[in-house]
Amino acid sequence: MTAPASSDITPHSPAQLVRLVAGREISTRIRDKGFLISSAVLILLIVGLMVFQVLIGGGESTSRIGLVGGDQAVEQVLQQQGQALDTEVTVVQLADEDAARTAVAEEDVDAALLDPTGSRPELLVQTAGGSAEDLVQSALAALSVADQLSEAGVQLDPAPEVDVVALEGAEDDRSQATIVALLGVGLLYFLFILFGQFVAQGVVEEKSSRVVELLLATMRPWQLLAGKIIGLGALGLLQTAVIAVVGVAGALAFDVIDLPGQLIGTVLNVLAWFVIGYAFYAAVFAVAASLVSRQEDLGSVLTPTTILLVVGFVIALQAAQDPGSTMATVTSYVPGLSPMVMPVRQAAGEAAWWEVGLAVLLMVLAIAVIVRIGGRIYAGALLRTGGRLKLREALAAEKA
Amino acid sequence: MLEFDGLYKAYGSNQVLEGVTFTVAPGQMFGFCGSNGAGKTTTMRIAMGLARADAGEVRWSGRPVDEIVRRRIGYMPEERGLYPKMKVGEQLSYFARLHGLDARAAGRAAEHWAERLGLGERRGDRVEKLSLGNQQRVQLAAALVSEPDVLILDEPFSGLDPVGVDSLAEALLEQCRRGVPVVFSSHQLDLVERLCDAVGILARGKIVASGTVDELRSAAAGRQLRVVAPDAPAGWAAAVPGVRVVSEQRGDTVLELAPGADDQQVLAAALATGRVAHFAWREPTLVELFRHAVTDTREVAA
Repeated sequence: MTAPASSDITPHSPAQLVRLVAGREISTRIRDKGFLISSAVLILLIVGLMVFQVLIGGGESTSRIGLVGGDQAVEQVLQQQGQALDTEVTVVQLADEDAARTAVAEEDVDAALLDPTGSRPELLVQTAGGSAEDLVQSALAALSVADQLSEAGVQLDPAPEVDVVALEGAEDDRSQATIVALLGVGLLYFLFILFGQFVAQGVVEEKSSRVVELLLATMRPWQLLAGKIIGLGALGLLQTAVIAVVGVAGALAFDVIDLPGQLIGTVLNVLAWFVIGYAFYAAVFAVAASLVSRQEDLGSVLTPTTILLVVGFVIALQAAQDPGSTMATVTSYVPGLSPMVMPVRQAAGEAAWWEVGLAVLLMVLAIAVIVRIGGRIYAGALLRTGGRLKLREALAAEKA
Repeated sequence: MLEFDGLYKAYGSNQVLEGVTFTVAPGQMFGFCGSNGAGKTTTMRIAMGLARADAGEVRWSGRPVDEIVRRRIGYMPEERGLYPKMKVGEQLSYFARLHGLDARAAGRAAEHWAERLGLGERRGDRVEKLSLGNQQRVQLAAALVSEPDVLILDEPFSGLDPVGVDSLAEALLEQCRRGVPVVFSSHQLDLVERLCDAVGILARGKIVASGTVDELRSAAAGRQLRVVAPDAPAGWAAAVPGVRVVSEQRGDTVLELAPGADDQQVLAAALATGRVAHFAWREPTLVELFRHAVTDTREVAA
């Protein structure tokens, strides 16, 4: 009566189907050139940012000063003065004024000092007003004071070292954490858009290629939707984690950050917000994408959600300046905006734990609503191809 | 038994199906015919759960077709659907797994069916790079790869060259021999006539004729007899009871016999005129049966 049943075949549970779909999403996307390139660019960007930071801020500046005449003492004083001004001074001995002029003109040295110990020392520079001027000026002043004092027979005790006691604990660390949070939020903004697009493109690809008919003959729409979102989400989380690890490791290696503990806390916090925010945006993008049948039409349905993302990011930028503002406080509770605003407020130390909890709760509620209503829209819209569907049509189709 | 029982479906005010009922026995090849827009695709989509019937149900082995049963059905949609950027082998293996095969069995089945349908060398190619004919084969392989208990194929032969048609037909016959009921829709009625044990003709939302091709023939009203008697005078057959002359041309006569009329009497009458060169029942082709069945309902509906 029935065909021979194969022993290889076992009926799937919904979880297995979701896993199969998720597995396909991951294995397809991980070999996708666009994905690989965007990952590489992101990591390069993070590393580049840190190198830049090292070059402009953290590192000491250097100054090469040519010297015509003068003795060992002048050289030493120039270097000491350099240390006081956080500048590494290299002194180059030059033969005469002509050599000095050439060296300055050819930018071999930043400045050349002529006759330092004489009564009318001269400093040759390319253009007036550089940092070398101050340095040389104060060095010669110190030298002259020391000379005069020693001539007068005065011995000086070294000045006492000052102990610094900070009353306002971690002002600087907070601002550093805020910057890290802001970077993280920028990353979130980018990843929400990137992975939201992936989800949306995947939905439309299945719809436009009609493969969705074959898929829905074996599973329910929600299983397809869940598998897609979970698969790409796992990949997104992995990517975010890789970037976070690279970022933290780099920041520690380059010594860009002073307080590693707080940095890691902020990074973990951003990762957690990625999960919540991604679930929200991926669901919205998927449902929106299910309304159209061609990749070309995607833009029109994704725009409203993308605008929400942009608004969130702009508010986050503003919140970094003024984490206590009403705007930042209010929007840090608004689902969709909270994943970008709240991490900044948290990093700034402006948000109490219950505020964070409330924001997360609101977000989870919003996700639940979207999955419920959006799932129905998605189910209704999947098998309707043609032009762009209205939300109401999709909801009606689900019942048919 | 695969039973389609009283399916009704309306899209808005457009009543597409009005009680579609037919059964397909295990190992039977069922050809599903009908004009464009008759509702063949809708019927198959209802079986696959892609459309919901307003009334009626589809049963397999006496059990309403649900998701569990559907996983054992191989389906080929009218609008072909494959992942364009996925490789042939991976794609087949994915579909096999969705239908319940474990990873290893799915890999084996994918390899087997790709080989079987002449896609062996294209296994590593993306589907979008294949010719339409080859994509069609992949589509069929996707339906067969899970060793299904039932096959429902919407226009599987459209777009295939004669060689492709033959290899597909052979694959389907093999499934029938395995005891799988196969339902397929087609406009190529000669093909249906050649392959199918049973045929259903859908018109205006109903099955207007179903059964084996022979049954359809004998049920067709007004069987026709062609007699060639070169020396017969015009009107030679008119006198035989129950006979109507359809056409008569220089001794070549086509007669329609009323039910119960005796063909031997006709033969005797023909022999009485002299030599009989040809005397045979004219077997209506499926095309003629189809036209007849479809126009009949038009008249009824009109």
